[in-house]
Amino acid sequence: MTGPREPRAADPPRLVRPYVVTGGRTAAAGPTLALDATIRALTDGRELDLTSGPEPRRIVQLCTVPVSVAELAARMMLPIGVMRVLVGDLDAVGAIDVVVAPTETATDTGLLERLLDGIRAL
Amino acid sequence: MASALFDRATRAPVVPVAMKIVVAGGFAVGKTTFVGSISEIEPLRTEAEMTVESLGVDNPGPVEGKRGTTVAMDFGRITIGADMVLYLFGTPGQDRFWFLWDELVRGAVGGVVLVDTRRIEDCFPAVDYFEGTGLPFVVAVNLFDGASTHHPREVREALSIPANVPIVLCDARRRTHVQETLVLLVESALRRAEGVA
Repeated sequence: MTGPREPRAADPPRLVRPYVVTGGRTAAAGPTLALDATIRALTDGRELDLTSGPEPRRIVQLCTVPVSVAELAARMMLPIGVMRVLVGDLDAVGAIDVVVAPTETATDTGLLERLLDGIRAL
Repeated sequence: MASALFDRATRAPVVPVAMKIVVAGGFAVGKTTFVGSISEIEPLRTEAEMTVESLGVDNPGPVEGKRGTTVAMDFGRITIGADMVLYLFGTPGQDRFWFLWDELVRGAVGGVVLVDTRRIEDCFPAVDYFEGTGLPFVVAVNLFDGASTHHPREVREALSIPANVPIVLCDARRRTHVQETLVLLVESALRRAEGVA
């Protein structure tokens, strides 16, 4: 039985407190990013300032193929709040592009029909 | 609608349309199993941090000021095509994180409420929540080993589920069951969008 997985003792402990990588900032400059906002890299990340850590470049490398904010956070084992700050920084310097699906997406009959066909074809 | 995989001018990948379905239900009802049965990636766990102040209820006692706590959510991904991706978000198991639900359901196609008939009352908050938001949802009765099978009609009566909300028996471990549950939900959302239901 694979029930909901609770944090286990075997999970690697964080070596630093999470908001150290944001310089202590807990809020991004722009509006709060949706968990399913899609991030894609616009550069290869080589030009980034890494004085506060390797995370910004890692993010850019992970989103050369578009990826959601939630998935980025999980892959880098960073809380969503930290990821939002870092993504906001990268957006501000033009290293990434942030695409937020408009809420009307969920009620667009054309998109829903394609989604339905897609799920049936899985 | 973007159909090309790459933007002609920049050669950067075009971002697929992101669709989202929320999987809710009581604690340990099988949400992660449900997501994992159909997700093309292992269900990923992400953490949202918040302060105890924002929890409202369940004040932990004489702790003054803010104290960080963490709530975990699971999610999965299904690529529908080159230009569409579906995300499945499992809600945090604890009912008190309602404000996170508000964020999770914003822009969602709809919700799946998983029910364990041995603890049917655990799903009441989720059912109430989706009814309150007006979001399309389906009720999926998870078929656990050893749990007696209830007829969907009994569950509908027990939960006072209106007729336009589909109820389905679903073994969350079986991909085809999960697939059929998602089909029912999107059909329901489509009827709603077309103004039929």
